[in-house]
Amino acid sequence: MSCSMLCRLAFAGFAATTFTTHALAHCFVGARFFPATLVTDDPCVADEMSIPTVAWSKIADVPPATQWDIGVDFSKRITENFGVTVSQDWTQIRQPDGTVTSGFGNLETTFQYQVLKERSHELAILAGLIVDWGHTGSTGSGFADTFSHLTPTIYFGKGFGDLPDSVSWLRPFAVTGQVGYQVPTNSFDFIQNVFIPQQLVYGASLQYSMPYLKSEVIDLELPDFFNHLIPIVEVSLTTPVSNNFGNPYTTTGTVNPGVIWVGSYFQVGLEAMIPINRESGSGVGVIGQLHLYLDDMFPTGIGQPLFGGTSAPPRKLTF
Amino acid sequence: MRILISAVPSLLAALTATAAWAHAFLDHAEPRVGSTTATAPRELVLHYTQNLEPAFSSVEVSDANGARVDLGKPTISASTMRVGLKALPPGTYRVRWQVLSVDTHTTEGSFTFHVKQ
Repeated sequence: MSCSMLCRLAFAGFAATTFTTHALAHCFVGARFFPATLVTDDPCVADEMSIPTVAWSKIADVPPATQWDIGVDFSKRITENFGVTVSQDWTQIRQPDGTVTSGFGNLETTFQYQVLKERSHELAILAGLIVDWGHTGSTGSGFADTFSHLTPTIYFGKGFGDLPDSVSWLRPFAVTGQVGYQVPTNSFDFIQNVFIPQQLVYGASLQYSMPYLKSEVIDLELPDFFNHLIPIVEVSLTTPVSNNFGNPYTTTGTVNPGVIWVGSYFQVGLEAMIPINRESGSGVGVIGQLHLYLDDMFPTGIGQPLFGGTSAPPRKLTF
Repeated sequence: MRILISAVPSLLAALTATAAWAHAFLDHAEPRVGSTTATAPRELVLHYTQNLEPAFSSVEVSDANGARVDLGKPTISASTMRVGLKALPPGTYRVRWQVLSVDTHTTEGSFTFHVKQ
């Protein structure tokens, strides 16, 4: 049994928001550390690797099929403020009758420029262009398109560290988000005989940093494990906005509550994936990720920008 | 893919075997972050998760009016930074620190502690 049209559309939406946007960054802004989020992106360029990101879900097919996604990506700073991420994912869909289809998605590259890092307000802004290269994946099995997608995207992150002392318990909160406009290089899919919509691809996270609570607000002398946790809720959405003739303008996506454990050289994240509607999936899925901080693992090697990383002497620290 | 999956536990084991953080995070402080002390401390001690570069690490302590109450240049040994304090009357004091770890990563932070009335 081949994947139905609904299944393919759901997968395309899911892939657009999940496995095509997790360029990663080890992100310090003032006292704030923004962890690498699982289904959206954090607002920094960095030298990092996610190996792997694994997701399990039941897609919006009737009856629902089971889907596994395994993704790998590698982020490298070219200069201090400009970085490139290369991402690849593999998907398997198992139908209720046991039929299995699998294949690679298109290769994706993300070019990002750090527009702003404002330390005192824990504010970071990043501009990027996500390029999903057509015909580089398993187009025959329907997991990759024969055309490319271009998604100019703005990312932001804001920590609440500048809140007044009277609400100091809220300071460990932070929000991150991204808004992108996805444009396909073809407007009509002659294989499926459907228009290819332009889409708004957007998402956000709300996170509470236990490391921040301990070092900036109050040391509760909790067991060390808890001081490394960042509880988080992510939302990842896609909305068709044009060239969608004959199809509903339905927003699809998931709400992902979970937690990230932040370590010395890596982090581990685990989230539930709750579809926001029937078109987004059937039941709760799970996503997990092991994420490596290359800049900490290899601070004088691959963890440096290719250009300009070691030429500048350490700055004299001033307040 | 099988190779990848089998490599993950080994990678995790290798990573968790490393004791120190690469960025220098504040592990704990004396007086503790956000704490209230019954008596005025004569010294502030900051313990980090990574050894520090003394030339590029600093700390200052100020009172509620912003006046410095530390005794100046801190002493740094390995992952610990100390600075003497003036006689502190009851009140709230803010600590601001910036450090450079030996692997060249910079981190910073601030917190308050209170001296009881």
